[in-house]
Amino acid sequence: MRDRLTTSMRASHVLALIFVVAALCLAAFGAATGDTFYLRLGTEALIFAGLALSVDLLLGYSGALSLGQALYFGIGAYVSALTLMKVPSFWLAMGAAFLVTLAAAIIGGLIANRVRGVYFALITFGLAQVFAKVVYNTRELGASDGMIGVPVIQIGLGPFSVSAASPAGFFLVVLGIIMGLYALTAYLLDTPFGRVLTALKANEKRVPFLGYSVWRARMAAYVFAGLVAGLSGALYPMLRGFVSPELMFFATSGNAVISVILGGVGTLIGAIYGSVLLVILKSIIGSWTEHHLIVIGLLFMACVMFLPKGMVGFVRPRIERLLGREPAAPEPAPPSSATIKSGSAA
Amino acid sequence: MSPIDYLQFVLAPQVVNGLALGVAVVLVALGLTIIFGMLDVINMSHGEFYAIGAYVALAMGAAGIGFWFLLVLVPILMVPLGMAAERLLIRPVFDSKDRHVTTLLVTFGLALIVEDVLKVIFGPNTQRPPTPIPGATDLFGIIVPNYRLFLIAVGALIVAGVAYVVYRTRLGAMVRAAAFDRNMAASLGVPVSLVYAGTFAFGVGLAGLAGVLLAPIYSVFPTMGRDFILLAFTVVIVGGMGSIWGAVVAGLLLTQVQALASLVISPVWTDPIVFGTMVAFLVFRPQGLFGRLGHA
Amino acid sequence: MTPPVLDIRDLGISFGGLKAVDQVSFSAERHRITTVIGPNGAGKSTLFNLISGAIKPQRGQVLIDGVDMTGAAPNRTKAAGLSRSFQITNLFFELTVAENLRLAAQVLEPAGRAFLPVRRSERAMAKTAQMLERFGLTHRRDEIAGNLSHGDQRRLEIAVCLASEPKILLLDEPTQGMSHGDTEDTAKLVRNLTEDVTVLLIEHDIGLVMDLSDHVVVMHQGRKLAEGPPKVVRADPAVQAAYFGHH
Repeated sequence: MRDRLTTSMRASHVLALIFVVAALCLAAFGAATGDTFYLRLGTEALIFAGLALSVDLLLGYSGALSLGQALYFGIGAYVSALTLMKVPSFWLAMGAAFLVTLAAAIIGGLIANRVRGVYFALITFGLAQVFAKVVYNTRELGASDGMIGVPVIQIGLGPFSVSAASPAGFFLVVLGIIMGLYALTAYLLDTPFGRVLTALKANEKRVPFLGYSVWRARMAAYVFAGLVAGLSGALYPMLRGFVSPELMFFATSGNAVISVILGGVGTLIGAIYGSVLLVILKSIIGSWTEHHLIVIGLLFMACVMFLPKGMVGFVRPRIERLLGREPAAPEPAPPSSATIKSGSAA
Repeated sequence: MSPIDYLQFVLAPQVVNGLALGVAVVLVALGLTIIFGMLDVINMSHGEFYAIGAYVALAMGAAGIGFWFLLVLVPILMVPLGMAAERLLIRPVFDSKDRHVTTLLVTFGLALIVEDVLKVIFGPNTQRPPTPIPGATDLFGIIVPNYRLFLIAVGALIVAGVAYVVYRTRLGAMVRAAAFDRNMAASLGVPVSLVYAGTFAFGVGLAGLAGVLLAPIYSVFPTMGRDFILLAFTVVIVGGMGSIWGAVVAGLLLTQVQALASLVISPVWTDPIVFGTMVAFLVFRPQGLFGRLGHA
Repeated sequence: MTPPVLDIRDLGISFGGLKAVDQVSFSAERHRITTVIGPNGAGKSTLFNLISGAIKPQRGQVLIDGVDMTGAAPNRTKAAGLSRSFQITNLFFELTVAENLRLAAQVLEPAGRAFLPVRRSERAMAKTAQMLERFGLTHRRDEIAGNLSHGDQRRLEIAVCLASEPKILLLDEPTQGMSHGDTEDTAKLVRNLTEDVTVLLIEHDIGLVMDLSDHVVVMHQGRKLAEGPPKVVRADPAVQAAYFGHH
């Protein structure tokens, strides 16, 4: 018995595997040539990919557009920075970020989940903006300058130890964590618990009549997404050695939304590809003009209007068909596949 | 300080300044609430249309065109821009499954582009047009800049004019009919597609007008739209999405809350208070002060 | 003596002065088909909304298996064993037929399975297969529910309600918009349901009502006008005047 959502998630995993292989090649190449710049840039792209992942979990699966997901990313980053400046321990910083983001996401969820749809989008937007402004004006948190001087840490991984200053080493640590968050999210979405979240997106009004509490499901999705964003954010000060209020402002949340739309809503792996694409676009376009927003804005609008499932949504059905053919060979082709084929005749 | 002095030198000026800001916010929110109420579209680029209005006024003012003429000319120039945006960006996704999210995203993309285009054309620096009406008036011992008094008066006139058009004219009735039931309106001979484009353009024109009026007070810079948009959205939600009177009352109320709160607490915390008001409204009275949710 | 599986007592609600449901009392016998009939606007669908928890009643009580469930949210009435269908098809239109059923059936799994992959939910998977078979949808299992024909969607709507093995099934006009042949098939299906569940039905097709029902409740302008076995109700002069008189 084949399940359509399981199949499409497997297709995402194939793309995830390709991504990891490509990333490992970059790490090997970077380490061999002694590169710092591209590995650091790649690490940053991966960290923001975690934020995009949390946006896609909400938008692509439970059907809620958050315009303020950077709030939790920023909280994770600040908590991590504050912890590291006291005790330079990787695991302690991650643990502290986890706990504080958990508490923040529960409070934020209690507020934002009172409303839905466009009101949810606006309330998450406002929540993040207001909180960011408070941080921006709080001297104890460095106000508008943020906090600098986060120490370089040694990350203990059992018998090994990696320095956050090592470009290839830290790149691999971040790759491991972000892909771990991806795998965990993908796993959860393929469980009965996760399927209730997808049911919210498909038809929220029907969900309570199946015996599930809509509020609980929405809270669970929101808090989990907040944690994914917070843990990703916690990695940021380890890479850059500073945090600033910009991490919480709308531009950061907006970039995550752009990444998800470019990569493909509701594909999970699309969020990660989208983040990398955004960083590449910014640095390529940025090398000959500082006005990269025009190009990114146009691309973004084109995706919303003409490619609603993004890059991955374009590629993934082909992989699904390859995967689907293996177990059930004699099955007649469903009528929908004919239209997909004719639409994509290359 | 005696209570009378406090009233005259602290409280009253704060109230008057709050009033000017309130009128400014209402002017920005007016177009936003009309576009939402009639078209069911969240226009994330509204702040950028406001910025375009301010920049066009700035450029034409520098070219020697008088302020009074600009007040009429700029909104008119914004109309074709609004029409084009509606035709090219809103219309193609208007009937998609999740209109709110899709139109929000498309207009968000537009906002990014406009902001950068403004930067390319006018540069990133802050500019400030000269005040069209210099001087100040002594109102019962409170010194108020003349231009702010003018802004309050003109703002009231604009709101009254817009409310008249929407609620009292045949045109307004047609627009409201099209918003309420598109098919019904079409069968009654309302040119629905033109009405939609016209309504969007009208909202954009109002944003442009706000730009002309507010530029002398709040300065002109490429990201100026962002500063007002959160407050404008708050006003629209508290007032009730789509309600003109709601936007007016909420705009004046919230800016007074902000102005008066900043007397007693650090200005840092006035934003959370205003936002908290919005949250409270969403939780306890989601239809807002006047409006009704999801009528279209 | 066991209490009736569904007991409605003095249920009432008004919307802006209009008494949509007014002092309605009746009970549904176990493994029987009870049908609510009445002209449009009689308050039948509102009654279903009150029973299933979609709307909180202002007066009266709803008892499921003797337990007071008045005003409980739909997910709680569902947990108490009450499942309902909708007059206007209400499915997960973007999901496949099988996933629609599996989502409904996954309440049968022990709580610990909630965090294991769905393919480990053997009971829900078996139930899904059983429902597909019983409702003749096996060949369409991987089709998106939104692509089904109207008749298949109506059938799936019933199947989804049944997949969670409820005690009571509320069916709101299950044959609405169906062709004659489909209506016959659905009638046969509903008749066989009583082996497992108690059925409360809203139906407009009088022939079908007389044929299917064990007990009929007639509603008119929010009130209960009469109740009894189909033949007795049909002969009631008040019912004739208020209801059949309109046809």
